[in-house]
Amino acid sequence: MTAASARARRSGGLGTPALVVPPALIGIIFLLLPTLAMIVRIPWSGLGRIYRDEHVWTALRLSLESSLEATAASVVFGVPLAWVLARVRVWGMGIIRAIVTIPLVLPPVIGGVALFDAFGRNGTLGDPIHSVLGQDLPFSFPGIVVAETFVAMPFLVVTVEGAFRIADRGVEEAAATLGASRSRIFIRVTLPLVLPAVLLGSVLCWARALGEFGATLLFGGNVQGVTQTLPTLVLTVFQHNPADAPALALPLMVVALVVIGALRDKWMRPVAS
Amino acid sequence: MTLSVAGTVRRGEFLLDIALEAAPGEVLAVLGPNGAGKSTLLRLVAGLLALDSGRVQLSGALLDDGAAGVFVAPQERRLGVVFQDHRLFPHLRVLDNVAFGPRSRGVSKAAARDAAREWLERLGLTGLAGRYPRQLSGGQAQRVALARALACRPAALLLDEPLAALDVQTRAEVQGELREHLGAFAGPTVLVTHDPIEALLLARRIVVLEAGRVVQSGSPAEITSRPLTPYVARLVGMNLYVGDAVGDVVTVEGGGTMVAADAPTGHVLTAVRPSAITMHTSPPHGSSARNVWAASITSLAPLGDRIRVSTAGQLDATVDVTAAAVAELELAPGRQVWLSAKATDVSAYPAP
Repeated sequence: MTAASARARRSGGLGTPALVVPPALIGIIFLLLPTLAMIVRIPWSGLGRIYRDEHVWTALRLSLESSLEATAASVVFGVPLAWVLARVRVWGMGIIRAIVTIPLVLPPVIGGVALFDAFGRNGTLGDPIHSVLGQDLPFSFPGIVVAETFVAMPFLVVTVEGAFRIADRGVEEAAATLGASRSRIFIRVTLPLVLPAVLLGSVLCWARALGEFGATLLFGGNVQGVTQTLPTLVLTVFQHNPADAPALALPLMVVALVVIGALRDKWMRPVAS
Repeated sequence: MTLSVAGTVRRGEFLLDIALEAAPGEVLAVLGPNGAGKSTLLRLVAGLLALDSGRVQLSGALLDDGAAGVFVAPQERRLGVVFQDHRLFPHLRVLDNVAFGPRSRGVSKAAARDAAREWLERLGLTGLAGRYPRQLSGGQAQRVALARALACRPAALLLDEPLAALDVQTRAEVQGELREHLGAFAGPTVLVTHDPIEALLLARRIVVLEAGRVVQSGSPAEITSRPLTPYVARLVGMNLYVGDAVGDVVTVEGGGTMVAADAPTGHVLTAVRPSAITMHTSPPHGSSARNVWAASITSLAPLGDRIRVSTAGQLDATVDVTAAAVAELELAPGRQVWLSAKATDVSAYPAP
């Protein structure tokens, strides 16, 4: 048996078309190469020195805390928003849907400027925020959470909205005939149906928040111990000791690989019921 | 606890204009082809859709009345609905699926589960309590769906083609059980189906729905012996001709005559069973049958232990013959044949 016929035998005539192989290979190499190039430049012998610096650990902690808080905020507000976008039919819903995607298309740095105009000291909501928090939002820890939420929440909303759209309305109707109130249907039937999408959306949202740089830098600043996250720390290090910068990418890469590896097969399949 | 619907609803081009009533303990079948409005009717009663005009009533209480501004939400109607595609909650075990209704109506978790266990036991499903819907066969899922509907102690039951999605073997099993459980149910049951067998076996009264309107209603015996429309005739396997009767001779619209014993004078429908027609390969001489006509065979199809032969002639007819007859008479499409039927086997009754 030739290799070709063995392949045909396994795939039943529906194997991989030759057409897709070269571009797919080029694509994967293109995506992998920068990461590899950076890894080989990591000054392994200097790791001890770099990681003894407590600023690194503080930045990592702030990164994790702020990104998790941003993800939580995105879930709390984004999932209901996704439901509204998917299910409510009123005039102007298209406009609202476009508003949700603004942060997706806006360069994050511009997003930072926009946040200033809205929530900064002289911004639209500057005074109310000051009276509630007793401080200004920019250059504070809550500020970077706000910046990350602004940039990352649309990833969650868009993912979950699609799931709400295709979720089986039939079982919701069945729940209604069984006496379940609308809120009960939402919590006990609809949410479980879209749970895989909520998890996938949360991971995408969290990844975006963890890596967020532009809006965070502009709106939160780069204050050690307060608003300096790992990405903004990398900027500082890159300006002074460029050779050390690749080493700082390690924790984020490890976190990313562990999360994606753990979730990929279980949850990150195309969302279906 | 009588359930009654009378009113109209428009869905785009489609208009459903219906009036029907189901008495307590009665199983009413709504029989009709796809697109006749059966599911729309069920959604109206369930409260998943509102009437444009008219009213839905259950034991005298208004559920839907556009003119009076009354619309009771599906949650408040206390109707048990079994859907064609069972619609079990995929993320809940069978026990919690069945307990969902009582839970939604404020029963404590423990009490709701007890009630669910009781219903599962009554329907012989106890062994399935711990399974997820994806681990059930089609027949099991439909049984669980019935248990879930009954566990709410509904005032009336609505069944949407409960057996349509099942294979033939399972269908026969579930049908028998369903007959039993519906017999034990005290409230009215409305069963929507496109399968005449299902309607005949499960219902004591049948309403035939075509293109959004009721075209016939009556007992299974009435429907099968006196179909009022070509659709109903086809469903119950009868040859149906429209014509005008004088004495016992019916002049059929489109040509030909039929002699029917006891024909009422005037505009009539004439029905003949396929098995009451005899097929000959030469003109039958000396036959006592008063109806004899020529036709040619258009197709043959197996039907149980018989062959159903479709013929075209002055009177189009389907005729049931034995497989042996097909071989002996060398019946084949295009073959010229003669058909005969006794006047006593032809029933004529006033057209609606």
